[in-house]
Amino acid sequence: MHKIERIAIAGVPNCGKTTLFNSLTGARQKVGNWPGVTVEKIEGTFPLQESRVELVDLPGTYNLSPDTEDQKVAERVIRDGEYDLIINVVDATNLSRNLYLTMDLKERTNQIIVLLNMVDVAENEGIEIDIDRLSKDLGLPVIPVVAVDKSSVKKAVVAIEQRVADLPAHDSHVSTKEVMDTVKKYAHIDAICGRVAREKKDRSENLTTRIDNVVMNRFAAIPIFLASMFVTFWFAIGLGSVFIDFFDIIGGLLFVDIPEALLSAVGSPEWLTVAIAGGIGAGCQTVATFIPVVFFMFLALAILEDLGYMARVGVVADKFMRKIGLPGSAFIPMIVGFGCTVPAVMAARTLSSKRDRFMTIFMAPFMSCGARLPVYALFCAALFGAYSGLAVFLIYLSGLFMAILTGFFLKNTLFKGTPSHFVMDLPLYHAPRVSAVFKSSWLRLKSFIKRAGTIVVTAVFVLSLFNSIGYENGEMSFGNEDSQSSILAHAGKAISPVFEPMGITKDNWPASVALFTGLFAKEAIVGTVNALYSSMDMNQATVAEVAEEPAELDIGGTITEAFTTVGEGLVGVISSVDLLGLGLIAEDQETISEEIGASSSVYKHIAANFTVFSAFAYLLFVLMYFPCLAVIGAARKEMGGYYAAVMAIYATLLAWAVATFFYQVTEGHNVVYILLSLLTLVGIYGWLYLLGKKEQEKTLALAPLPIIKNCS
Amino acid sequence: MSANIVLANMQAGITYQVTGFNTTSEDYATKLYKMGFVEGTPVELSSVKIADPIVVQIRGSRIALRKKEARQVLVRECNNA
Repeated sequence: MHKIERIAIAGVPNCGKTTLFNSLTGARQKVGNWPGVTVEKIEGTFPLQESRVELVDLPGTYNLSPDTEDQKVAERVIRDGEYDLIINVVDATNLSRNLYLTMDLKERTNQIIVLLNMVDVAENEGIEIDIDRLSKDLGLPVIPVVAVDKSSVKKAVVAIEQRVADLPAHDSHVSTKEVMDTVKKYAHIDAICGRVAREKKDRSENLTTRIDNVVMNRFAAIPIFLASMFVTFWFAIGLGSVFIDFFDIIGGLLFVDIPEALLSAVGSPEWLTVAIAGGIGAGCQTVATFIPVVFFMFLALAILEDLGYMARVGVVADKFMRKIGLPGSAFIPMIVGFGCTVPAVMAARTLSSKRDRFMTIFMAPFMSCGARLPVYALFCAALFGAYSGLAVFLIYLSGLFMAILTGFFLKNTLFKGTPSHFVMDLPLYHAPRVSAVFKSSWLRLKSFIKRAGTIVVTAVFVLSLFNSIGYENGEMSFGNEDSQSSILAHAGKAISPVFEPMGITKDNWPASVALFTGLFAKEAIVGTVNALYSSMDMNQATVAEVAEEPAELDIGGTITEAFTTVGEGLVGVISSVDLLGLGLIAEDQETISEEIGASSSVYKHIAANFTVFSAFAYLLFVLMYFPCLAVIGAARKEMGGYYAAVMAIYATLLAWAVATFFYQVTEGHNVVYILLSLLTLVGIYGWLYLLGKKEQEKTLALAPLPIIKNCS
Repeated sequence: MSANIVLANMQAGITYQVTGFNTTSEDYATKLYKMGFVEGTPVELSSVKIADPIVVQIRGSRIALRKKEARQVLVRECNNA
């Protein structure tokens, strides 16, 4: 008997690999995964043969000659022999489609154990499977299992332990004589299925078909899709904002009040207390307030995915996606983008052609992500009053429009070429599995907190440093906070001419500076605007006062207060259907400033420095410009540095052109700037066109000589 | 023996079998082939009422295909259906 150290789980998409993986490993996952699909291998460990073995969950694949990037991951792991044993999960309700992969696997190795999953569902559907016969026909051990049932999984583990001992000696060089072509494989599968499976009922009119008849109905499909998006937003933002106060108060207690009290107690210098509690602590508090909205957005998308609905959205969306030369399945990563653009970029891996993938990645950042919402909320509350909801809705819509415009741009310039075909597998619907959905949302949230936390802390730290260092009459000095002489103020003023055409005046330099911190993460704009505006009218005396004041620390009282807000919020959300967090926006400025962690004086400054039109232009710019660094990082990983750079420049230029056009048409009325913005748009198009042409020439030069066609 | 028609023109309620491909796109044919669209495989139009893309039932799966692209797959009515 040989020792097993590493096991790979392989199977077709939706056969229950990840469920089995979660049941086996418990909470011991090493790597998180994004919604959409399992696009990377996930690793974990579980006990087998009295030792811990490594378990690798592979992205689902139908065969070992896959055509999408995520499935290639699976093929690579199997090809490189990064395992001692493969557990092939086979969906008992659909042997015919599942066994093809088993055939492919058999050609690569003989270390396979088949786990026949969903035997309970199969039984309900009237399918009887002769397991011994299947095992004999396949020449592999077959163990029945119900992956969602813990006790069934336990039994399966015992069975695996027994069967491992009986496996033949490891032989990865299976002779090529056994390699069959596709037709033979299917003939073999059909023969096996005929022998081992018996279907009693007619399965054609099952529940899935009935649901599909409604969900993909010619007339109802679009309304149902919009309704499901509405519910997703309501769920994420409406329900999420119930907990905003809670996180704000608890975050304030943990990151601001307690450190402050502790630092004062040990007698730390005042400047240090202010820097840690007021700077970094307040930054952490700001991040904390986003946690619920982001979590509920991840949760909502995970539920939609687990339900099986996303695939249907792909089918419904195909009608208009084909107009920009993309398959309907490219719409799924874009929906994911409403949560966060990083997983959206990664979810593009499920598309088969490189052109489709790149186009989708270029379009995804225009779908407004969760991190941009606090920025809209802040500005709308200051200027738009009762029309805030409408304003935010218009921004989301502009994003969608810009994504489509981008599609048209790219289709005719950078990514010419044949539009690819559309083939989409529609999985069976099943009820979302609570533990799986929560676990995956939690993993995603964890990486969001880590990322956002690091960025906000760093940004606030660097900003306060630059805000402190001053430069006046050729001399450097410290302690220039809030004055017009700090390096930050100088830099802000220096770059503001660039933003002047879109309505940001020179005195409004904090808005320009915020755009720079927004490069790291868009939510950092709120923190920056808040810090810079409030520092503008705060003198040193008040800073000292503020620092001395909160010596009384009432932990119990604060926690009680935090829980009260959740109760109040829940009552509110139940009594009103709150789309896009409009409730958050419609509230008075006092409440909203508490909710998003901004001081109320910031509204006076926003109102004084912006008009309705310049604020909207600013928000349009925030929506579109340079996707945050994390997105560029993900895009670089998927497309390489060159295209990631093109994407960043494209987004920023487009943002400038659109924001300027909007501001000048509505308020600025400067013909030169209007022409300039239009020229920029034309310039972007021309630039992309040239890049595309260059790229084509390159591929032509690299490609082998074209076959000369018949000249007659 | 009935005549070949294309997958896109299948009628509901009748079982067909795949007979081959009539395509210039190697990728498309290979993809469907690997998914189980091999000669002799029974296929029928799913009862889902959606015009384009169409949804077909094959090997216990529901697969959505564009109508235009589904013209590349040839099928024939099953005689014993």
